[in-house]
Amino acid sequence: MSIKHSKASAFTMSKNCAWLFWVCQLLNISSLSIELSAWMLGILALCLCWQALILSREKRLTAKASTAKPLQKINLSFVPSLFLKLLAISGCIAIAISAKQFGVLISMVHLLAFAYALKAFEITQRKDFYQHILLGLFLLASALIFRQDLVFSLWILFLVIINLAILHQVFAKADSVAKSSKTVAIMLLQSSLLAVVLFVIFPRLAPFWQVPLAKSAKTGLSDEVAPGDIANLALSSELAFRVNFNDEKVPLYSQLYWRAMTLENYDGRKWTRAKQDKRAQQISRQKFSPITSGPAISYQVFAEPNYQPWLFALSVATTTNSKLVLNRDYTVQSTTVVNQPISYQIKSYPEAPLALSISQESRQKNLSISKGSNPRLEQLASMLKAKYPDHLTLAKVVENTFRNQNFYYTLQAPQLINNSLDQFYFDTKAGFCVHYASSFTYLMRAAGIPARIVTGYLGGEYNNISRQNNSNQTGHLSIYQYDAHAWSEIWIEGIGWYRVDPTAAVDPERVSSGWSTALLEQQSELNGDYMSLYRLKQLAWLNTLRLQLDAIDYQWTRWVLGYSSKQQYDLLKRLLGKEVPWKAAALIAVALVLFMGLFTLFNKISFIKNTLNKKPPEQVLFNKCIAALNKKGIDKAPYQTIQQLCFIVSNELPQSSSDFTNLTTTFQLLRYQQYNKLERQALLTQLKTEVNCFLKGVNQDNTKLNQKTSPL
Amino acid sequence: MQTAVNNILARIESVVLGKPQECRLALACLLAQGHLLIEDLPGMGKTTLAHVLASTLGLSYQRTQFTSDLLPADIIGISIFNRDTNNFELHKGPIFSQVVLADEINRASPKTQSALLEAMAEQQVSIDGETYDLPAPFFVIATQNPLFHAGTYPLPESQLDRFMMRISLGFPDISAEKKILLGNNDEQISRNKGDLQAVTAEELTLMQKHIQQIHVADDVINYIIALCQVTRGQIKAKESDISCKPLSPRAGKALLAASKAWAFINNREFVLPDDVQAVFSAVCQHRMELTAQDYNATNAALSTQIIQHVDVLKPLK
Repeated sequence: MSIKHSKASAFTMSKNCAWLFWVCQLLNISSLSIELSAWMLGILALCLCWQALILSREKRLTAKASTAKPLQKINLSFVPSLFLKLLAISGCIAIAISAKQFGVLISMVHLLAFAYALKAFEITQRKDFYQHILLGLFLLASALIFRQDLVFSLWILFLVIINLAILHQVFAKADSVAKSSKTVAIMLLQSSLLAVVLFVIFPRLAPFWQVPLAKSAKTGLSDEVAPGDIANLALSSELAFRVNFNDEKVPLYSQLYWRAMTLENYDGRKWTRAKQDKRAQQISRQKFSPITSGPAISYQVFAEPNYQPWLFALSVATTTNSKLVLNRDYTVQSTTVVNQPISYQIKSYPEAPLALSISQESRQKNLSISKGSNPRLEQLASMLKAKYPDHLTLAKVVENTFRNQNFYYTLQAPQLINNSLDQFYFDTKAGFCVHYASSFTYLMRAAGIPARIVTGYLGGEYNNISRQNNSNQTGHLSIYQYDAHAWSEIWIEGIGWYRVDPTAAVDPERVSSGWSTALLEQQSELNGDYMSLYRLKQLAWLNTLRLQLDAIDYQWTRWVLGYSSKQQYDLLKRLLGKEVPWKAAALIAVALVLFMGLFTLFNKISFIKNTLNKKPPEQVLFNKCIAALNKKGIDKAPYQTIQQLCFIVSNELPQSSSDFTNLTTTFQLLRYQQYNKLERQALLTQLKTEVNCFLKGVNQDNTKLNQKTSPL
Repeated sequence: MQTAVNNILARIESVVLGKPQECRLALACLLAQGHLLIEDLPGMGKTTLAHVLASTLGLSYQRTQFTSDLLPADIIGISIFNRDTNNFELHKGPIFSQVVLADEINRASPKTQSALLEAMAEQQVSIDGETYDLPAPFFVIATQNPLFHAGTYPLPESQLDRFMMRISLGFPDISAEKKILLGNNDEQISRNKGDLQAVTAEELTLMQKHIQQIHVADDVINYIIALCQVTRGQIKAKESDISCKPLSPRAGKALLAASKAWAFINNREFVLPDDVQAVFSAVCQHRMELTAQDYNATNAALSTQIIQHVDVLKPLK
């Protein structure tokens, strides 16, 4: 290693640059910090602190050594390489051990971040630096696996610019950081044009390999629900999904019951999804197409990843999307786990009945209660059953009791012993939607009416800012986790599954327009979030801002994240009309030809420009050398002749002197001697190789005249 | 041919000690077929240089010491009546030789000085209405004392312009001076006159022809033009105004010819801007100086200033 260090090709960067590099590493790692485990973060922080220590020590040393050895390298060879290797090996072992708990993806991310932090100690040559910058960019790209929302993407873009600016800065030492970033930003902007075109028209192939599944514990609906569960979810203001109704009228708030799943099994404590036995599975494999009638509304849903298969739709949902499965309980499911934002088109028939007939098995399932678990409710049920033989009337009567008796809708429900519904219904009388839905369902089952709990979301926030001005498109609905809801369905002969929402009886506002003020206050109090929804809604301008941001984020999700091959096809179809494939191919071909044509034209123009400016090729080549010398601190005054410059170079840069003398001799011949075309051509090629040789030599030689450098 | 040049230089430098640059300039001037003016204090070796130049080139030469009472006829000659033949016979003056050494030219009266004028420009003289051609090659090597010396008449500009170069030798360095003090150069010269000759007149003519064929690129021509334009104010000087007499096209031509000769001496077949810069001061300084009085104060500075105003790689913007 030490031999390598003493070589002239050893890599150094200026002090400012080294610090910037350090900050950049910090930011890169912090963008992944949520995914990394605490111990890994600790190690990374240690590495960074260590680097900072070395850097600040370096500062002191160079200050002491002052001008005596301005170019001396005090490298990170302070860090014994054996120790570094040991650290690397033990870190890898630790990652391997915890891999089981993390899953493949997260442990790979750990490995990447770990390698990134350690590689910084090993930057001795230019290629190491390139590697490190590339690793950093890879780190940023992997951060995008976990989050893709607009703000985060912009943040990552910003970091990319910083990373590239450092790359620029190291080799264009004279530029300031701001200037480097500006250059990089302009270059990115130029290249983004190509990126956008490719994004829009390049065929979107299915990935050859899948990113391993992130086992992220996300908030969202669970497939088992006990009283009090959804109240926890209601504290989260994370986005669940968005709905775009295109040109159609948005249904009333109270009609927006987004079904996610039905819970039919009750074990006395919690409700779970019915486990399908083999026969039922076989049936469900055959395609289920619900009977539809009445008016239809179609809409598009943009679901955020919830790491579960179920999706959201209004009843009765139909779809032509092959990736979706329609279940027999009228819920919609994805064939795979939703681990990235997806969008799907749904056509719903809100007035169509659900299952006019049900099997004996299913009826049995939806009537089962564990006898004796809630004796008082059972007693009440049998009493009601005798009094009201009609099922619908009975349901209405129970709903009325919720309305008339002193029930209280609250996020802070009193704890129930053993989840006893008796206790809730007769004593505490305070609870969230699950309390009401489960006690109602239990009561119905006890009274001999098939009933089940449906979970999903209710309502949604309507945002019409995203609406385009010129069209009559409506805005979009954003449904957040706090819109999670549970309600009941009872099966009645001739009607099918009939939705009863006991919450509506207790807190009509929740069902008709969303959360009441009292509830919002309670929420903000409970989650202690300063920027809570309640506070946001209090301030009008903040709320408008929030809606604006939501609208921008919606467009981002819709057009960028949700840009699927189907959307691409639709877009091309809209642009090109019918017969998309060959037209698209033609378009791509034309674009390519056009691009190449423009490229050659551009080249030609610049060539003509050069000749017009009397910049013969040898001059262009020579100017490169002058620029290289300039970076080294040797300026050519305009009145200096080439031989004088040559003399200066041989004094200041003795290593490159012979190269420079060779090239100037050739350059002078080309410029001042008379030759025919062939001879000129030969000399030009000679000059080219000589210039390259010189530039290589000069660039490898990292000494800069009259300027101190600091290594990293 | 290059060995001949080196020979000449070696011989000149063996006599004029410690002044290689000046010797080269003087040689370049003669190779470019220009007349040479050597200006310095008395006793600096002006005459020696003139002497050695003439003898190394193997040319016939005559020396004339200019004094204030020298008459034009003393230089170019006079027709005298021959009683035997009853005819006027022309007695040719010292000017009828290949090299004319005009020692202390500025001691003569303007009338006498201007007698040289026609000879230098046209290579011919007129005596009593008859025109006589001067031999070829024809050089005038003149020496002069600085203008502030007693009994000097400043050369008129028209005449100054006819000298391709004006050089001054300056004091020798210590080692050269030691050699001068210890040696006996003057005796050596007179003794080895024959030995000093390095080339024949024919060879010299060949060299001069060769020099005329040296390639000058457009860029170098532009460079020369730009230099002239700076003195004329046609190219605006940036920081400070340069006050000098404008350079005439003849000056430009002289500059070009001298550059070519300089390139030849440096064994190159084409002219570089370096050549122009090298001879610029010698060729142009005496044509640009504003007043006779301050000629010494800004001697080098003026030509350096002008050179600094022109971009070598892009002379004419």
